[in-house]
Amino acid sequence: MNDATIFLVDDDASVRDSLGLLLSLKGFRTLLFASAEHFLATYQPEWRGCLLTDLRLGGMSGLELQDNLKQRHLHLPVVVMTAHGDVATTRTALQAGALDFLEKPLDDEVLIDVVRNAIQVDRERHHVISAQTETLARLERLTPRERQVFNFLADGLQNRDIAARLEISPRTVEVYKARIMEKLQCRNLADAVKLSMAAAQQAPREDK
Amino acid sequence: MTNSAVSSSSSEPRRYTGTFICGYLIAYVMLDWLSHLRDITPWNPQAGLTLALLLVAGPRQAIWTAVAAFLAEIVVRGVPALWLPVFATAAAIAGSYMLAAILLRIRGVNGPIESPEQVISLVCVIVPVTLLSSVLYAFALPHSAEQSTGNVVRYWVGDLNGVLTLTPLLLVAKDWRLGLHGVRQRPWEVSAQIVSVLAALWIRLGPHAINDLVYVYPLFVPVVWIAFRWGVVGAALCTLTLQIGLIVAADGNDDRLLGNLQFFAVTLGTAGLLLGATVSSRAAALRHVARREAEQRAILSTAPDAVVATNASGRIVSANPAALHLFQLTTAELVGQDLEQRLPSIQVNAEAGRVSLEGRRGDGSPVPLDVAWARLDAPATEGIILIIRDVTERLASAAQLRERDTALARAMRFAVVGEFSSALTHELNQPITALVSYVRASQILAAPLCDQDARLPETLDKAAREAIRTSDILRRLRDFYHGGASHLETIQTESLINSVVKTYENRVRQLGVNLQCSFAAKLPSVQADPIQIEMILHNLMSNALDALLDRSETTRKIALTVSQRGTDILIELDDSGPGVGADISARIFDPFVTTKPGGMGLGLTISRTLLRSHGGDLWSERGSLEGARFVVRLPITTSSRPTL
Repeated sequence: MNDATIFLVDDDASVRDSLGLLLSLKGFRTLLFASAEHFLATYQPEWRGCLLTDLRLGGMSGLELQDNLKQRHLHLPVVVMTAHGDVATTRTALQAGALDFLEKPLDDEVLIDVVRNAIQVDRERHHVISAQTETLARLERLTPRERQVFNFLADGLQNRDIAARLEISPRTVEVYKARIMEKLQCRNLADAVKLSMAAAQQAPREDK
Repeated sequence: MTNSAVSSSSSEPRRYTGTFICGYLIAYVMLDWLSHLRDITPWNPQAGLTLALLLVAGPRQAIWTAVAAFLAEIVVRGVPALWLPVFATAAAIAGSYMLAAILLRIRGVNGPIESPEQVISLVCVIVPVTLLSSVLYAFALPHSAEQSTGNVVRYWVGDLNGVLTLTPLLLVAKDWRLGLHGVRQRPWEVSAQIVSVLAALWIRLGPHAINDLVYVYPLFVPVVWIAFRWGVVGAALCTLTLQIGLIVAADGNDDRLLGNLQFFAVTLGTAGLLLGATVSSRAAALRHVARREAEQRAILSTAPDAVVATNASGRIVSANPAALHLFQLTTAELVGQDLEQRLPSIQVNAEAGRVSLEGRRGDGSPVPLDVAWARLDAPATEGIILIIRDVTERLASAAQLRERDTALARAMRFAVVGEFSSALTHELNQPITALVSYVRASQILAAPLCDQDARLPETLDKAAREAIRTSDILRRLRDFYHGGASHLETIQTESLINSVVKTYENRVRQLGVNLQCSFAAKLPSVQADPIQIEMILHNLMSNALDALLDRSETTRKIALTVSQRGTDILIELDDSGPGVGADISARIFDPFVTTKPGGMGLGLTISRTLLRSHGGDLWSERGSLEGARFVVRLPITTSSRPTL
């Protein structure tokens, strides 16, 4: 399921049914869950879209669900709904990283705006992730020797110095450099260094 | 018995030592000897001495009277030829006076003679007893010559005189210092009285007046005067003096005149004693009244309540210091005013009564008063006595209490409705959400039909708006009841909790609950809304007491523990009730969940909401008394947060 979907979690069957109907009529793909537990049990990492959950649920609450996702490093955008106007809880939800907050009853225009925005956020995030994944894949293509040379280059060493350290001729370094640029699909060294830094940032987060 | 003998024993009046008895014996014999001027004594002071002894020391001492009479007989009249008559006369005298002492003690005469009734008792007893004694004495003597009626009368009159002059004097002998003190205060009057005694004696006994009984009448003058001034004691002393004077002067006169004089002396003595006793009892009554008045003055001046007396026409005649303070007037200003000036609405329409009304101070300002009044008895003096209490403070504290109760009740009502509307908003917002969504969905579904009737999308839109409006109304309702924001004050934790617990005192006692409160030392004060915290505590206390209703009295326990943990105050309330059932323990803080028949199921919900708005919390756990334990966590400093 790679298309954007709205995952709706609400313990009230009528709310689930009516919102599901409305969202689908507005052209969204929806998946409905009666409880947070049910959602977590069914969740697949490759799911795209956003989570629309009520704060008060039978069993695990919307806040706890949000916490749970965060602990698992799942970055599905979360929109919380409340029938209670509970300001303190809402604030907690937003502090915990909820993207947006809706008060019931939901007016359709606001709902659609918020949901669209959430899906957009997820999409952008996903683009970044795929770009980073690609970068990492490119770096993976370097041989150990090329990787060594690339690291020295990234540290700002001159061809001559690298040649001295690796006990090879500067000309060979030049050959390695050309091959690295080609593999990383970069036109110049600056682009390659940027790419390496982005990869270094991404590495500890991508652990799924 | 002499003055000195009595005064020496005055500190221990009930101990009659050998010295005392010896003194009596010697005095008796001496008096008999002194008064035995002839064969037949004209005056028997030893009779008076004996009666005084028996009245003070008890009739049992009559044994010594017998001894004294026996000794006197031998000493004064010589060793007799026959012993038996001597024993007999001694026994007769002792027996007679023992009888007199017993009768008088029954009549209540055993100390100083002060009232006319006592004088009459004395006369009524000693007249027959001395007669009896004289008859027995006369007939016990061997000489038949002495057994004449005339002798009996002489003995009788002699004994009567002895008793009337000496006994009252000896009975007050131990207070002789008081008498001396009195004399020193009026030296001129005493001197004049002595002169009058001497003058009366001179009139009777001067060379011109021999044998003429007419000259005895002036003797009444000093007796009356002295009795009037000095009472019984003065009268007795005066007649004693006159008696001695008459006897001394009469030496050598004929028996008949002496007898007549003695008879006169009895009359004089009795009259003097009666007058003296009347004066004494009046003095005693005056002393009593004076003492009562002094006591009353002291009571009135120290009484915390105002006491005011009026006369028959309602004019204030006296007022105590408290009354002056209450009305803020001086005695001169208050006394003489009409009562109605100070108590305009008073209606004294019964013998006694109580009323609460408004009084007027001196400056005209009103003051709330409780007034109790009683009419004075009409024959004595007409008027009203009023006891007035300023109840300003009491009313103020009662009003304060009422105000607090009202505030608490209002806060509770608001909290209940607030919680109720909050729960209602949540419950109804769900179906309204569904409704709005369904209508919006319908609008989309109906889009193809809009061409047929343009009113359809419009109508559906109105339907959705109405549903949203419903929700807005609910929200406004809820916001209104949650509008009562917390008013944070600095609260003394212990006194606040105690004041709540105190309101349950009666119920705790009625239910026989063993209530233990323990407070940690040095609890800090907290920043909180006192009304809300009270409400929470009331709710928890009331729940705990309700939980004990099904328990037997011996096992009804509540333990309240207050402690500090970090920056929080923890209030733990344990009860020995049935505890929170497992079936609802997860939901007891939800609205409308209750185990109590007739309960709203909002108390714990409200309490938790209020505590959370204080940054605290409320939860239940397993208690130490096998029942429920509710724990209140209250931060010492609250960062005020909106309730919802």
